Amino acid sequence: MDSESPRKLRIWFVVLSLLVGVLVVVAYYKDQFRSWKIYQHQYIQDQVRRASTPQQKAIAEATPVEIHQILLPQLDRVDRCTTCHLSVEDPSYAGYPQPLAYHPNHDQHPFEKFGCTVCHGGQGRATTVAGAHGGPNPLLPMDFIQASCAKCHDASDNPAAPELARGAQIFYTVGCIGCHKLNGVGGSIGPVLDHVGDHRSAEWLEKHFLNPAAMTPNSGMPPQHFTKPDLHAITLFMLSQTGESLGGFYTSMKVIPSAEEGRHLFETKGCIACHQLNGVGGKIGPALDNVATRRSPEWIMQHFRDPSSVTPGSVMPKFGFTETQIRALTQFLLHVNDHKTALNIPALMSAVERGRDVFRKYGCAGCHGPDGRGGVPNPNAKPGQLVPDLIHVADGFTKSELIAFIRRGQHEIPALDPKKPAPPLYMPAWGDKIKPGEYQDLAAFLFSLKPKDEDLGF
Amino acid sequence: MKPSFLQRTWEGFRDTRVGRSIFRVGLPGSNLERAQAMVSSFLLHFQPAKVSRRALKPTTTLGLGLISLFLLLILVGTGVLLMFYYVPGTDQAYAAMKDLQYVVSAGRVVRNMHRWAAHLMVLFVMLHLCRVFYTGAYKAPREFNWNVGLGLFLLTLGLSFTGYLLPWDQLAFWAITVGANIASYAPLIGPKLKFMLLGGNVVGQSALTRFYALHVMVLPGLTFLLLGIHLWRVRKDGGLAAPELPVDQTEPLEGGSLPVNKTYGLMELAKGTSFQVGRDPDEEVFSWPHLIFREMLLFLAVIAVVLFLAIFFNAPLEGIANPIHPPNPAKAPWYFLGLQELVSYSALWGGVIVPGCLVTALAVLPYLDRSRKGVGRWFARERRVANTIFSLCLVVAIALTIIGSFFRGPSWSWQVPWKTPAAAVSEEH
Amino acid sequence: MTPEENNEHKTTRRGFLELTLGWTTAAAAVAASSAAAVRFLVPNVLYEPSAQFKAGKPGDYADGSITFLEAERCFLLRKGNTFRCMSAVCTHLGCTINETKTGYHCPCHGSVFNEDGKVVGGPAPRPLPWFLVSLSPDGRLMIDKNQLVPADKYLVI
Repeated sequence: MDSESPRKLRIWFVVLSLLVGVLVVVAYYKDQFRSWKIYQHQYIQDQVRRASTPQQKAIAEATPVEIHQILLPQLDRVDRCTTCHLSVEDPSYAGYPQPLAYHPNHDQHPFEKFGCTVCHGGQGRATTVAGAHGGPNPLLPMDFIQASCAKCHDASDNPAAPELARGAQIFYTVGCIGCHKLNGVGGSIGPVLDHVGDHRSAEWLEKHFLNPAAMTPNSGMPPQHFTKPDLHAITLFMLSQTGESLGGFYTSMKVIPSAEEGRHLFETKGCIACHQLNGVGGKIGPALDNVATRRSPEWIMQHFRDPSSVTPGSVMPKFGFTETQIRALTQFLLHVNDHKTALNIPALMSAVERGRDVFRKYGCAGCHGPDGRGGVPNPNAKPGQLVPDLIHVADGFTKSELIAFIRRGQHEIPALDPKKPAPPLYMPAWGDKIKPGEYQDLAAFLFSLKPKDEDLGF
Repeated sequence: MKPSFLQRTWEGFRDTRVGRSIFRVGLPGSNLERAQAMVSSFLLHFQPAKVSRRALKPTTTLGLGLISLFLLLILVGTGVLLMFYYVPGTDQAYAAMKDLQYVVSAGRVVRNMHRWAAHLMVLFVMLHLCRVFYTGAYKAPREFNWNVGLGLFLLTLGLSFTGYLLPWDQLAFWAITVGANIASYAPLIGPKLKFMLLGGNVVGQSALTRFYALHVMVLPGLTFLLLGIHLWRVRKDGGLAAPELPVDQTEPLEGGSLPVNKTYGLMELAKGTSFQVGRDPDEEVFSWPHLIFREMLLFLAVIAVVLFLAIFFNAPLEGIANPIHPPNPAKAPWYFLGLQELVSYSALWGGVIVPGCLVTALAVLPYLDRSRKGVGRWFARERRVANTIFSLCLVVAIALTIIGSFFRGPSWSWQVPWKTPAAAVSEEH
Repeated sequence: MTPEENNEHKTTRRGFLELTLGWTTAAAAVAASSAAAVRFLVPNVLYEPSAQFKAGKPGDYADGSITFLEAERCFLLRKGNTFRCMSAVCTHLGCTINETKTGYHCPCHGSVFNEDGKVVGGPAPRPLPWFLVSLSPDGRLMIDKNQLVPADKYLVI
């Protein structure tokens, strides 16, 4: 344009133009260099090496280098993991080092229907190792992989995920729901746990269980003394609580009923009035202990739909169960002997037994210890800096006083040293959260705790 | 001197019927053509045909306004490209960002350029405002243009703020939640303003739709309208503010027969509302090429800086927005952190009184400050008081922003940036 | 006149070279950026049904059946133990065609195709294309819409 410009400006022009030119070139190379291309080239080389005929070799060499993805609109996911993990479906890559390892056992969960991240976590849309395996929802460690099963399957009753089931069992027996809500049930001293697996890592959870205050300052949660396997199982169960709701086809998986649900139905629908199980129940219908050996699942299901259609003259009524309920009940009956299922039918239990269930249901053990045998530390609380055990509760209260106390709770716990922070744990006011009948059972259970021999002698 | 290949190609094209129909003037060879080149071209006509040598000196304005304009152009270019992939839906926006980052060719660099140009534009518009203040350039007859510029500054903040939400990640979601709540502290209209802005009470799909409409349509439209007025008024108000001439040279001619409000701006050879004498014509040079070439250099420099930042520093993208789990602390965009820091002491002061007073003070300033002294010179001694007050405000604003950015940890408690407290570590994973 | 301005009108060979270098680089950068912008607009991943897809096991289809695969817009035909797959997209202007007793009919502009996809009436310019059907290693039908085959080419199982 103008060779008339002063020389200094011309030099600036040349320098800046060159700088912009160089930056454009650098930007192009940085954009072209993508780490997944390296893996694809390695895979193609491997395919070429494996080729036995010239034709196969030509096909392998012509493999396009491109992003692979699995579209999962119902899961609202796009998984590009197969861009690097190219041979997950090829058994001849069994035992290969990553990213080319074969993924065994996927016949029940085909990749085109489930993708990868729904089980493994990570960022499906990312195409770098750091981006895909890390980020806000990082890859789930393999020893915690069972946590993902709970997204579609029942956590407490899944034979393929025993660790998960054990975690759920620990959760409900050590009394976590005394302070925490899960699925709408539980206390409100601690935070709701419905999404805990969504934003906490396994490492964080384990450390938190062992020493809560180190991870959450001012936490009132007492340190939990789990054995290593128990710690792993409960952490796994916590990780399974992501609050994620899956759509479409996957929701239907949730209704694949579990034997546990069947047991619940069996207990609550009054089957025991006519049928015997484990030696309890009515004698109008046949005992059901060995029904699985006598009948096929199809037969049992049809029998639930319409008893007289498979057993002419049957007096059993048509209950109008839903298909899901029928499958749950059938599942229960098929497995009734494997599990040595203990029936939990309130009418057949003593008040003390029912009271123990109430004690567990509301998580009393979380503070007062299993069966009220001893409490957890409550710093600066009178008298012994512990939550009191309940063994001698019968000595200080009548049953109605005890119930009244539980209803109203005790928010202010007397402090040993008034200058130190108040004791973090307190007795919540249970009010109407515990049902009147449950209160009676609970009181009966708590009174039963007093050691029998103490009444003698003293 | 033989014409170069480029020059020959250009002239060959320019000589065709089509070339002549597009370019009214060819490459100028004479001074007349140089003036014509500026006046007759749509893209150049908002600049004068001649400029003073003083205006070309980099120290006069530091080119801050021009840099802001170039950044705006980069933002429009990259923004339009991003629109081809972006979907303003709470379920798709974040996915679109991931795609830009991981699968779209040049997607990352385009997004990074947009991000850094946006931050730089906020910064440079602020610096431009400071320059105009420190050179007293807001004074009559530029009072109105100062206010147009103030409007452009607020629009820039608005554009940056609305764009902040669009990635729909945790950073975006919580910055906008915090920012919108600062707005709600305004008395009477505050809560209504927040409700209108978000299209609801919380940041959700309707907020995203609104922010998108504001970000790609409404605010850019207003910005270009005000920008047109701003540039036009720069010309009409007499170009760059220049030091006052000695009194005897600016006196109108005797006689009073000449209306004082008439402009004698013939071809920009004379300026102002009176005949001017004593101004050396040598003090002025033709804009083509002197101004145009310098502007192009500045444009190249701006492009180079933005490209450099975009190549080597990635724009942040955190986890997808999660209304249940706020990060601790949730921070507004950096240019609002001074306000957030104030809000942490007093919502009323930080959210309403201080920003309201500042904007009002800046708006009425040129009408209150009627002294004509110290125009066109940096830190003029006659403006010592005004400059000191302004500098104090600036220092406080910068200090508050730095405190809010670096010295505030979880729960807005004090932290020292080089020592992360244990609690903050445990919150991350 | 200042000395600087005097110099401005003298063009030197060196200055000319510098300018040429500057302009060439700038022009190249502009061209490269424009090319990058165009490349930016070419999608690298698609959110539409893949051209290669699996269509279940052969046993899922009854003998003599013509099954319309909705998402992929094609017909899967089984006769005995042979399989073929034909496009369901009219070659005229891209409407989805319907199956009739004697062949296929396009509801938009009335093109009529026979059982083999040959045009027997209406404005359609070309017969309907047939796609390659093969069997995957895990025993499922695979259709590749990128590979066209003649109408009489079958997959025999």
